[in-house]
Amino acid sequence: MGASVAAPADSPRASGRRPWVLVLLLAFLGVGVFFSPILGTVSVAPDTVLRILLHQVSGGALFSHPCAGASVPASGCAGLIEIVWDARLSEIMLAVVVGAGLGISGGTLQGVFRNPLADPFLLGISSGGTLGAAVVVVFRIGVADQNLLLPLFAFIGAIGTGFVILVAARSRFGSVETLLLTGVALSSFLSAVLSLLLLYSPTGSLQVDFWLLGNLGSLDWTQDGIVFGVVLVAGTLLATYGRELNLLQLGPDVAQSLGVDSRKVRVRLLLLASVTTAAAVAFTGIIGFVGLVSPHVVRRIAGSDYRIVLPGAALVGAGFLLAARDLSLVAFPGTLLPIGIFTSFAGAPFFAYLLFRRRGTSTMGSP
Amino acid sequence: MSGPTDPALRLRQVTVRFGERMALQDVNLEVPKGQFLALTGPNGSGKTTLLRAALGFLAPQSGSVELFGSEVLSLSVAERARRVAWVPQEENPRENVPLLDYVLYGRYAHLEWLQGETARDREAALRALRAVGLEERAEDGILSVSGGEKQRAILARALVQEAPLVLLDEPTSHLDIAHQLDLLTRVRELSRERNVTVVAALHDLNLAARFSDRIVVLSRGRRVADGAPTEVLSEELLARVWGVVADLRRDPRTGAPYLLPHHLVPPAPSGPGTFLGKGPVHVVGGGGSGAPYLRALSEAGYRVTAGALHLLDSDLETAENLGALTAVEVPFAPISDEVRERLRNLLQAAKAIVVAPFPVGPSNLPNLEEVRGWLGRVPILLVRRPSGVEWDFAGGRARALEEELLRGGARQVAGAAEMLAALAAEPSVPLPQ
Repeated sequence: MGASVAAPADSPRASGRRPWVLVLLLAFLGVGVFFSPILGTVSVAPDTVLRILLHQVSGGALFSHPCAGASVPASGCAGLIEIVWDARLSEIMLAVVVGAGLGISGGTLQGVFRNPLADPFLLGISSGGTLGAAVVVVFRIGVADQNLLLPLFAFIGAIGTGFVILVAARSRFGSVETLLLTGVALSSFLSAVLSLLLLYSPTGSLQVDFWLLGNLGSLDWTQDGIVFGVVLVAGTLLATYGRELNLLQLGPDVAQSLGVDSRKVRVRLLLLASVTTAAAVAFTGIIGFVGLVSPHVVRRIAGSDYRIVLPGAALVGAGFLLAARDLSLVAFPGTLLPIGIFTSFAGAPFFAYLLFRRRGTSTMGSP
Repeated sequence: MSGPTDPALRLRQVTVRFGERMALQDVNLEVPKGQFLALTGPNGSGKTTLLRAALGFLAPQSGSVELFGSEVLSLSVAERARRVAWVPQEENPRENVPLLDYVLYGRYAHLEWLQGETARDREAALRALRAVGLEERAEDGILSVSGGEKQRAILARALVQEAPLVLLDEPTSHLDIAHQLDLLTRVRELSRERNVTVVAALHDLNLAARFSDRIVVLSRGRRVADGAPTEVLSEELLARVWGVVADLRRDPRTGAPYLLPHHLVPPAPSGPGTFLGKGPVHVVGGGGSGAPYLRALSEAGYRVTAGALHLLDSDLETAENLGALTAVEVPFAPISDEVRERLRNLLQAAKAIVVAPFPVGPSNLPNLEEVRGWLGRVPILLVRRPSGVEWDFAGGRARALEEELLRGGARQVAGAAEMLAALAAEPSVPLPQ
């Protein structure tokens, strides 16, 4: 056995498992969430913002007069609290939750399809979900229950798209290329339908850019709560499938021989990822590339074990979207641009990088 | 989980169809516990399909597959994994997972939901790595080890799965000869130490004969031979199932039979005038009488076979120089049953038989007796003997046999040129290109 081929000197290192990275990521995110309300469309002094936050968090015990010394608007301190707490923090929490949902969905899809280029946006699941939500808005279905119907229709759109992709992946032409092309075609098609719907909506002008480019603004805590609840439940369920995803990377047959019901698990994971994506995009529109980039970042820093990749992708996704929001406010003070523009700016080159790196190596097989 | 008398694997009347194609047809098979069974057969004979049916990857159109007494498809996927482990032909991992983690994947079916691997699992994985000689490399990534090491890691994973039945699908087809021997030796040792039943699909008949207790041969989805390697392996089997002419020898050290493949058996005639390839043409000769005909045939493009001949006969030298298959007897001895059997195999493959004007004695008389058996089945050409030269030293029996051949339809030819012309005229022995 001494004659066995020695590993080449530049062979990739075994990807270890670094769970502590998750703690680090969580800490970073916490700091980010705490300081992000300083940035906003109107200028509020940073120290005032932090005082308001601590005041609100402590239930009024700390800083009984949080606005002391600040230039208070006409509405008084309550107005400032509303800006910081209700507007900014709800927007920030939405960024966190949506980013987490997209991140963990992306990680799951990459695992299910054994394809590093899978992502809810590129596969059209985001477009499907957004289209579902837009239908509710455009046709004014159940105006009173929009908080319920919007996510429900988004689920239908996202899951429907998910199943079309599953069928494409299962067909005998189910190569990586087929899968991505199906996704790209679906994504474009659904976006086109969405644009048409919005441009000729019976209710008059609805902002097309809002839906197609993703937007964090104009939500309230109720909507935040819905997204938060769904992403938390579906995301937590997804995160329990790390071990199965590890085994699925060996191929569905090998995984099954080891005890994973491959077919059932893959369908279940696709369903959960679609639900998570749907919740994420139901109120915000299409936000691209978060699901693609986040899992890769985690793999780089914490190893490729899906038991870490999934929660890690949620944390990185949350941080990514939060950073996009903050950067947008730094770059263009006074306006909150559609958040999808920023994620695409960072994500598209990353996608290209992955594509070209893939051609160099050949670590990808068919799904 | 099973009765003591239940076999590890039992197939009853299993039929699997893929569209029009019959992958398995009414296959019955029982593998007792502890057996090392080699499953063999040509490409597309149904080996992999049989293994996949045993793993529950596919549902047969009819028949039943049982693992230790339970219908495989009625078991949960996890329960199947606790009963049967699989070592595939090749695995293409995409992440550079440390070998230890790769082996730990085998514990999945033994863990509760969300339960992490315990220290016991890690110890089991390390033991398995030690059993396959990879304990030093536990922390190396699966993508950075060699093909042989990867197959051993997969074997270690199957071991920690603690399944009493292990199925291997061509586990050595991507390995060099040293690693083939290494892997199968380990499998056999482990199966004996742990009383694990092994079913291995193996292309290589010599490896199958050497390592298995039993060989099952599949051909076109049917079980066509089954038994101990010494019983099953024969030149006849190779010709019939694989279409290959081979010599059967015996390994002097292990006693295992081994086969030395020579060339393909030409396709059987399917009608007059069908193109049948260039022979082979069998030449019966001896004492140098066959050499001119062997050479003439070979130069004309026919493949030739010769025999039975005695060792040191000059015809034998000629035949071997021409690359001919031969049946050989030790000098001066009468033709033994074994050599006679070999001669029969050569005659069976022959498209035509040429009887050279050789001196016939009691020891080589069986040559003519065997040729007689092919009358009416292939063209037989007798080379006219020079007059006045005594050639029948078998007390008239040789002369009687030749006359019988001529009466039965054998043709007489005057020399090599006439022989070639006669062959060319035969519809079933077309002209060489």
